[in-house]
Amino acid sequence: MVKLAAKCILAGDPTVGKTALAQIFRSDGAHFQKSYTLTTGVDLVVKTVPVPDTGDSVELFIFDSAGKELFSEMLDKLWESPNALCLVYDVTSEQSFNNCSKWLEKVRSLAPGSSLPGVLVGNKTDLAGRRAVESAQARAWALGQGLECFETSVKEMENYEAPFHCLAKQFLHLYREKVDAFHSLL
Amino acid sequence: MRKVDLCLSSEGAEVVLATSSDEKHPPENIIDGNPETFWTTTGMFPQEFIVCFHRHVRIEKLVIQSYYVRTLRIEKSTSNEPVNFELWIERDLVHTEGQLQNEEIMAHDGYATYLRFIIMSAFDHFASVHSVSAEGIAVSNLSQ
Ligand SMILES: Nc1nc2c(ncn2[C@@H]2O[C@H](COP(=O)(O)OP(=O)(O)OP(=O)(O)O)[C@@H](O)[C@H]2O)c(=O)[nH]1
Ligand SMILES: [Mg+2]
Repeated sequence: MVKLAAKCILAGDPTVGKTALAQIFRSDGAHFQKSYTLTTGVDLVVKTVPVPDTGDSVELFIFDSAGKELFSEMLDKLWESPNALCLVYDVTSEQSFNNCSKWLEKVRSLAPGSSLPGVLVGNKTDLAGRRAVESAQARAWALGQGLECFETSVKEMENYEAPFHCLAKQFLHLYREKVDAFHSLL
Repeated sequence: MRKVDLCLSSEGAEVVLATSSDEKHPPENIIDGNPETFWTTTGMFPQEFIVCFHRHVRIEKLVIQSYYVRTLRIEKSTSNEPVNFELWIERDLVHTEGQLQNEEIMAHDGYATYLRFIIMSAFDHFASVHSVSAEGIAVSNLSQ
């Protein structure tokens, strides 16, 4: 039984729903904020996620920062040595999807080692009539980048836990891989 | 005086604290004299462990075997309790893929009762410490 700790970066454009996602996850679905307050600085959400069938768990330290800071150097310091990435876009905004590659590049450049557990999350699926990014398009891009792919509606409380559970699983997997490597050093 | 490896559980050393632990890779593995067993960090840095000698010792040479450790800070205390640590040594280690780090440090002013090893940063998400040995002499028992 092991309890890991992971610094998990929430990244993505302004208003895609990063804070809404973090808060609904923190409160187990009890708290959806309708009014938009842009994030300034960073909010930290800490939550332990058990990994099914293992007895192991991962304590996620979720760093929720402002989407308007894409090119700011402040994030480089704040996001130093990330262990996992939750990359969010808004399915009604093509631009928020297109910017994902910039966010990904930024976070990867700060990661220790060569691999970084990551998920791509398309949020606001409840706004079906305004959808601008097709699932297949997102899935294809995510696959090419080695990211697992999810769609959520934080408003409808749909699927909001799956991305974090997936990150915990990926991080545990990475830990086991490293431990195997430590074993084979001698 | 006989020079020994002071950092062995068989010589009375003990790990009294470690910030992270996997039951399968406990911090005791650092001082069991076997480099095949190791302690792992379990995510995020810094991470640390404290070795207690249960006596006053004078260390002349330290050897740390590890993997993925980047910046290592070593503090020491000469108190009877694990308090009043002072910075002693700070090193940036190099990483060679697939090869255990073997850091040898010649020590000055090596009087100690406790050593505190702080892994400030690493080359990957996790790091391992396989053994720490401290060559030197036991000076005296702790006063009660
Ligand atoms: N319809 C709908 N609205 C949502 C959903 N998730 C979030 N919102 C709304 O979108 C707006 C922005 O959400 P935030 O979570 O504050 O966005 P953010 O990504 O944190 O924005 P920054 O902090 O500026 O980077 C808020 O008004 C939310 O209520 C969703 O699934 N569906
Ligand atoms: Mg926000």
